[in-house]
Amino acid sequence: MVSIGIIANPASGKDIRRLVSYATVIDNNEKLNIVKRIVLAAQALGVTDIYFMPDTFCMGLRVEEDLAREKALLAHCHVLDIPMTASQRDTVRAAEEMEALGVGCIVALGGDGTSRAVAKSIVQTPLLPVSTGTNNVYPRMLEGTVAGMAAAAVALSDTPKLTCLRDKRIELYRKGELADIALIDVVISTDMFIGARAIWDAESIRKVIVTRVHPASIGFSAIAGGLCIIRPEEDLGCSVDLSEGGTSVLVPIAAGLIQEVSIKNAEVCHLDTDLTYRMEQNCVAALDGEREITLKQGDELTVRITRKGPWRVDVNKTLEQAQERGLFRK
Amino acid sequence: MKVTNQQIQDMYTCMKKIRAFETKAMDVFAEGSIPGFVHLYIGEEAVAAGVCQHLNDNDYITSTHRGHGHIIAKGGDLKYMMAELFGKSDGYCKGKGGSMHIADASKGILGANGIVGAGHNIATGAGLSISYRKTDQVCVCFFGDASTNQGTFHESLNLASIWKLPIVFVCENNGYGISMSQKHHMAIKDVADRAVAYGIPGISVDGNDVLAVYEAAGEAIKRARSGLGPTLLECKTYRHRGHFEGDPGTYKPKEEQESWLEKDPLFRLAAYMTDTNIATRDEILKIDAAVDKEITKAVEFAMESPVPALEKVVEDIYSDIIEEVRVR
Repeated sequence: MVSIGIIANPASGKDIRRLVSYATVIDNNEKLNIVKRIVLAAQALGVTDIYFMPDTFCMGLRVEEDLAREKALLAHCHVLDIPMTASQRDTVRAAEEMEALGVGCIVALGGDGTSRAVAKSIVQTPLLPVSTGTNNVYPRMLEGTVAGMAAAAVALSDTPKLTCLRDKRIELYRKGELADIALIDVVISTDMFIGARAIWDAESIRKVIVTRVHPASIGFSAIAGGLCIIRPEEDLGCSVDLSEGGTSVLVPIAAGLIQEVSIKNAEVCHLDTDLTYRMEQNCVAALDGEREITLKQGDELTVRITRKGPWRVDVNKTLEQAQERGLFRK
Repeated sequence: MKVTNQQIQDMYTCMKKIRAFETKAMDVFAEGSIPGFVHLYIGEEAVAAGVCQHLNDNDYITSTHRGHGHIIAKGGDLKYMMAELFGKSDGYCKGKGGSMHIADASKGILGANGIVGAGHNIATGAGLSISYRKTDQVCVCFFGDASTNQGTFHESLNLASIWKLPIVFVCENNGYGISMSQKHHMAIKDVADRAVAYGIPGISVDGNDVLAVYEAAGEAIKRARSGLGPTLLECKTYRHRGHFEGDPGTYKPKEEQESWLEKDPLFRLAAYMTDTNIATRDEILKIDAAVDKEITKAVEFAMESPVPALEKVVEDIYSDIIEEVRVR
């Protein structure tokens, strides 16, 4: 048996950034179509079993029904029997189950937030993130067919981690306990509430901690992108303070939204080093673009960048290696 | 988006008012004190409160058969509403309309509506009127998920989009059309997806989080007032009661009901207010007590109001204004 898992977030790509920016819209029928292409490609290369996260759109059941009706389904499809909460918890739980089942690769469709939820529970399973969200830095825009081929190639490989990169992650500690993680950025904002979750207004941002920096990035990880570059494979991160009177840079905060931001201070930080912040007022911590944690004045938050993120599939390297092993030869 | 502590307290008061009004309506209906049907808004309060916080008396709303919450949030008078439910002559419709026809032109409330999907067209007409008069008003159209299967929804969004009308279409997706689960009446899960077909923004928010609704509605209303056209805002929520009072709601699985009760919008906001020191527990109890008093007064007012006289039954059928227009 060769298996992969598919987690398709039905809620990605519908948040408030469609109102306040020019963010992409990908509806669930299009996500369904992408999932079908992943399944078709993966089974063609030898994947026999595919596990799906249960979701409100019933993505797994629809794929199975549609492809079976078209007589195109070869693999066995299984929708995980776990309770559905229509929240991030479903992704965390499904990823945990898939790892326990020993799937060869998890394909996650969504945005940075979806990949973050998967990364909360997996340790060893390679992750192939496919972008269907907003302002994505972590997942790539990738054709589903290619994603399915790469997922199959990883699942069929004896040495899957050779073509994966163990990513960095930002760990957030409160009172010594690991409270949450982020894969790309943690933003401290003066917003008072979690509300519509997405964050886009640079005026309310006070601090940004990132695992990678590049001018070709978008969102808050792009803030320092005008000043330096930190690549995913480098054992470094960056901490940026924003306030008036600093260096002004133009930043692509969201799709079609270039804002001028004043950087007071930007510091490169090393892995496994604690950075502790005391909140001067009530505020919110946003993780990978979504407001998640409300913090009260006086609260302390410790942030640590580590190399304990997920094993992310390098699609090009994986398919190059698959070609060398003769995976595509009949 | 900025929000003041006072605004948060106002939204709590509004939600509490709706909850208390509906709970009283549930009780008096069970006693047999009021005629007709009532469709209660319990569980969905955050939508009306979060949206209407951005509106003033000049703005319009259109409502549905489940309209009490919208009317209260837009400033409707509890006394006249309760009297209407009791079928009394001091009610909003002189006791002849009942729960599903309450309107108040002075507050921009263009009416609850017993016809599923009829509010879409009324809102589009109001939006066209605003656009024609070039004012900065907006119209908010409240409707349920199942009504978006009606032709009126598609006609209205199409026209509103073409003419860039200042309308915010607010879908209260409570997962059911009467007793039919959304999965059996619609091939999609997110009504917001339908916006793509009309070239307008469509977003989904947690309709049980009043601050999420407040933030999203604020941006959509700002967009409408600036002449950028309509938005489809889907608020995912849940009604705690049956479709109408008397419907036991046996089609709703127990686990589903329990999971939504945990997300009760009123309790969530109260917890947020105490956690963030916006209000103390005592201050919240004080708001609750004041609201309860207001509801008691509304019921007393309704009970003391006379039943409309028999000869009034054919009055108020046609408006004189229509006749004047015809003469011209």
